[in-house]
Amino acid sequence: MNEVCFKNLDKKKCYSLKVYEQSGGYSIWRKILKGELTPEEIIDELKASGLRGRGGAGFPTGLKWSFMPRNASMQKYVVCNSDEGEPGTCKDRDILRYNPHAVIEGMAIGGFVMNASVGYNYIRGEFMEPFKRFEGALKEVYKAGLLGKNIGASGVSFDLHTHLGAGAYICGEETALLESIEGKKGQPRFKPPFPANVGLFGQPTTINNTESFASVPEILSQGGQWFADIGVENSGGCKLFSVTGHVQKPSNFEVPMGIPFKDLLEMAGGIKKGRKLKAVIPGGSSTPVLTAEVAMEMTMDYDGIEKAGSMLGAGSVIVMDDSTCMVATLTRLAHFYYDESCGQCTPCREGTGWLYRVLKRIMDGDGKADDIDLLLGVSDKIMGNTICALGDAAAMPVESFLRNFRPEFEYYIKHGKSMVKG
Amino acid sequence: MADIEIEIDGNLVSAKAGEMLIAVTDREGISVPRFCYHKKLSVAANCRMCLVDVEGAPKPQPACSTPINEGMKVHTNNEKVKASQKAVMEFLLINHPLDCPICDQGGECELQDVAMDYGSDVSRFSEGKRVVVDGDIGPLIQTDMTRCIHCTRCVRFGAEIGGIMEMGGTGRGEDLKIEPFLAEGIQSELSGNMIDVCPVGALTSKPFRYELRTWQMNSVSNIARHDLTGSNIVTQTYKGRVKRIVAKDNDSVNETWISDRDRFSYEGLAHENRLLSPQIKVKGEWREVSWDEALEFAMRGLTDKVLNTGEANKLGALASNTATLEEFHLLQKLLREVGSENIDYRLNIKDLENTVTLESNIKLAGLEGVDHVLIIGSNPRLEQPMINHRLRKASLSGASIDVINVMAFDFNYQLNSENIVTPNQIAFMLAEVLKLILQASNAEIPEALSKIEASDTAKQLADRLLDADNSVIILGEHMVNNPQASSIAQLINEIAQQTNSTTLNISATANSMAGDLTEFVPGKKGLDANAMLATGLKAYILLDVYPHFDFHHPAQAIKALSKKDAFVISMNSFKDEAVAQYSDVMLPIASFYETSGSHINIEGKVQSFCASVSAPSDVKPAWKVLKVLADLLQLPGFHFANSMQVTSEISNQGHKQNVSNKKLDIKVKRSVNVIWQKSPYAVDALSRHASALQATKIGQMHSASMNKATAKKLEVAENDNYLGVPVSIRESVANNCVFVNTNKPIRGEL
Ligand SMILES: Cc1cc2nc3c(=O)[nH]c(=O)nc-3n(C[C@H](O)[C@H](O)[C@H](O)COP(=O)(O)O)c2cc1C
Ligand code: SF4
Ligand code: SF4
Ligand code: FES
Repeated sequence: MNEVCFKNLDKKKCYSLKVYEQSGGYSIWRKILKGELTPEEIIDELKASGLRGRGGAGFPTGLKWSFMPRNASMQKYVVCNSDEGEPGTCKDRDILRYNPHAVIEGMAIGGFVMNASVGYNYIRGEFMEPFKRFEGALKEVYKAGLLGKNIGASGVSFDLHTHLGAGAYICGEETALLESIEGKKGQPRFKPPFPANVGLFGQPTTINNTESFASVPEILSQGGQWFADIGVENSGGCKLFSVTGHVQKPSNFEVPMGIPFKDLLEMAGGIKKGRKLKAVIPGGSSTPVLTAEVAMEMTMDYDGIEKAGSMLGAGSVIVMDDSTCMVATLTRLAHFYYDESCGQCTPCREGTGWLYRVLKRIMDGDGKADDIDLLLGVSDKIMGNTICALGDAAAMPVESFLRNFRPEFEYYIKHGKSMVKG
Repeated sequence: MADIEIEIDGNLVSAKAGEMLIAVTDREGISVPRFCYHKKLSVAANCRMCLVDVEGAPKPQPACSTPINEGMKVHTNNEKVKASQKAVMEFLLINHPLDCPICDQGGECELQDVAMDYGSDVSRFSEGKRVVVDGDIGPLIQTDMTRCIHCTRCVRFGAEIGGIMEMGGTGRGEDLKIEPFLAEGIQSELSGNMIDVCPVGALTSKPFRYELRTWQMNSVSNIARHDLTGSNIVTQTYKGRVKRIVAKDNDSVNETWISDRDRFSYEGLAHENRLLSPQIKVKGEWREVSWDEALEFAMRGLTDKVLNTGEANKLGALASNTATLEEFHLLQKLLREVGSENIDYRLNIKDLENTVTLESNIKLAGLEGVDHVLIIGSNPRLEQPMINHRLRKASLSGASIDVINVMAFDFNYQLNSENIVTPNQIAFMLAEVLKLILQASNAEIPEALSKIEASDTAKQLADRLLDADNSVIILGEHMVNNPQASSIAQLINEIAQQTNSTTLNISATANSMAGDLTEFVPGKKGLDANAMLATGLKAYILLDVYPHFDFHHPAQAIKALSKKDAFVISMNSFKDEAVAQYSDVMLPIASFYETSGSHINIEGKVQSFCASVSAPSDVKPAWKVLKVLADLLQLPGFHFANSMQVTSEISNQGHKQNVSNKKLDIKVKRSVNVIWQKSPYAVDALSRHASALQATKIGQMHSASMNKATAKKLEVAENDNYLGVPVSIRESVANNCVFVNTNKPIRGEL
């Protein structure tokens, strides 16, 4: 536990440059500055490590970095996604608070590999404390002469800027994030072109999640194989899981991939006394909900969770006990997507409102027998037809809630009240 | 790019790699529904109506934003595609009012059309519909934003074509609202195009509101004559009246766009101020008479006054620059036939020995491709909106643009430098530039330039002209009465030759090119407009002249024309007090869209048009009136049955503007210079009578701008009257310069 991003968590002032360097921090970056590492070597290590993007989609990081046209002459950018807005997740916040230097070093390494001399870290608007920590860390590294132009006459340049968001979930979507940095309204772009070709300010850009970047220095220090071996096949390394909901000790846990869910639940102190586990959303609100039975058999890795019928997503485990009304929960989730849709594309703009209104009506006791089919129909029509994945994210919970807990919805529609006494 | 083959619905189709799928399906005539896609705007891919099935792709792909590649297999109408289309259509309609019968777009609505083909008849949506409250966004565009489908065409139009993002999306999700960003609403000169691009009834024409359905109207192609572009338009008519004007595609002229002036001026046609019947003045009293009587009276007047007395040289003809090619031709022919060469359409020039003579030798479309532009004395955005649009395109693709103006204007593209100088300094500045350019090629420096020391500004201007591969120098309207106008034209001509630049002379607008081509200018023995009025002729024929707007010195002109012994025949579309004062006969003539004829645009393109509607009952096309008058005078060569026969008599030799070769005058003088310009929507009688246009901010432009120092010199303060125009003190005007923009009759000398 706590081997990579949270390595120094138990040390005093673990976020300081001193502590970071004492535990081997910036050694990879210094090697690069001395010309002892090539981009190819780094990409090979990352590929060997099995690191997959921690922002939700799980795309192999080494492969993503290899897509950048590193030899093209134009300005290129690396961007870190610290917008962390998915309901249920709070891991990036703690990385920024307790290990900001790992993010900086990871981004700098990325900049070197992709020949991008400028980086941006886009931090969620509400994260004032993490933002200050990160800014403080940046000051330290600049003072130490580890960033800037032609650093220590190495010929390597890397400048890093922070950008504070303004509280829109959609700005976590990578292309909306780029628009936001450019000073525009945060709305996703259609793809292609992909950011690796046309990204920030129209230039090639790679975007990774905070945790992805923060994992890179340790992987390169200890070797890709070391990291891969921590986890299981197809899910290398360890991962931060934010366990929240009806557990005794909600927290972030950095644990090896493949750990059984029930062990993770135990680490979080288990369910409250006298209550029973009812449902688990394993990867953040955009991933399908699972029943207790299925969850208790599941291992926490990409394949394991997929086998159980959901997705690892950002590793945000929302635990619900038997006091939870699934109708109310889905209504709350539907409201979130309805509220956060950027509104540019038709199915999401119109569909999220429709879903929410039907659910709200059911909650108000005015449900109709065919509302369940209607909800399924509407979510199916959003699915796959939108510009960005927010549309899918809004549709997916509806389908899984209705599939796994249909009788609760039927009961609510029929009786005008919840089946759960909570 | 290379041709590749793709398969659409089982058929092989060849196309260019990288093209968007929708461009291919459009070309092949395969129907793919769409709302947000517009061929002249960037891709937004937000409506999701164009989703198609691309084999191998897990999700349906939008045809508008999917680049094609070799071997791609596409289905545009299988079950998967139909399901997506139905889904999107349903989403679009849940919050859209389903009351097409009361919507102004009914019958020409893209949503309505597509819904017929792809929608379901029963909506399963039973929640409350969204209602959007409308604000007043200006006199031209009516909004009904509850109908907006958020396709952002209007937003992209503003950002990309208009060059000012007047409409924008505020809020998000369901609360996304398309609305003007600015409190003053929509005010730009191309704003009406947003009506054309809006696929639904959210943005419609305000003057046309609730008038008629599209299918009730006839559509007739026509040409707009307000400026040097000659934009192609469609006039939509009902029971003999023009009810609405929309743009007609012509890539080499106006692409898909038209200016607001071209779109909304038609309203003037129905103005109560139209001159509707022939009238003659008998003993100081106006009397309405038949056409026969009026023409007889006119003929008699001419015969008695000048023809029978052998004083044909005491007859003069003056015309406004909006006359058609055929009208210009017939009137000058009539004059020359009776033996007079007193012919002129250049009414607004103080010194006709000192004019802006310069050729235009670049095509409209060619303007897009230049890499450098030097604009002198123009506010092209408001004067020549479609030419400005091309310049904006050039700028967006990297052209640098320098400006020498007497006042800072609001350009909708980036300027490299904006040099604000007094009118009296322009010739000197250009002389500096010319000297540097000659020096650069070690050419001989003419005597006139020998003593000049070039400034840094001149050096920068010269360097950019020398560096550019493909530059154009544009000379605008503000140079018309510059005391050194002809020297300026000479200098530009020389600079252009030395730097291989093209030139564009936009100093005279409307159909002036036709005036030149038909030689509607004095012959060798003839008098020019000023000389005619100064000498005092015995008879005049005036073609659509409104003295308070058209003459550079209205009072003097009116006085000359009002002389007791002068017989004046006026042909006008609108009534005018001064015209009534000095005329002896007033003949009502057809206005725009009521007559056939031709316009010649800046690139020399002759565009002929038919009448879209017939003129009001007792109003006749001017070409016919002139023909009959000539017949009455028993002149040979007027056997025309229609205006086309007139057109074919005129040979288009491409009129050459001979640059003057007088001695250069580049001396900087200290006197105050007045530049007078009709405000953009007051350029001709039709626009002046179009009420919605007049109500816009541009229509209201009426001020004499000057800086504090000049105001002090002239002893005026803010809002005082200067030549009858309210003073506006602005430091953006060059010193010693008054820039007058007026939409009202002018008093005093200009
Ligand atoms: C609606 C939406 C919200 C998202 N929010 C985040 C976020 O807050 N943080 C994040 O890292 N990725 C987020 N993503 C995923 C990013 O688009 C992107 O895939 C990710 O930053 C890539 O980094 P990775 O490869 O390191 O995972 C979001 C995606 C969507 C569709
Ligand atoms: S799916 Fe939703 S959030 Fe994403 S682009 Fe479309 S409207 Fe915006
Ligand atoms: S007003 Fe019309 S053009 Fe503008 S976004 Fe709405 S539907 Fe599209
Ligand atoms: S036309 Fe393609 S998404 Fe709108």
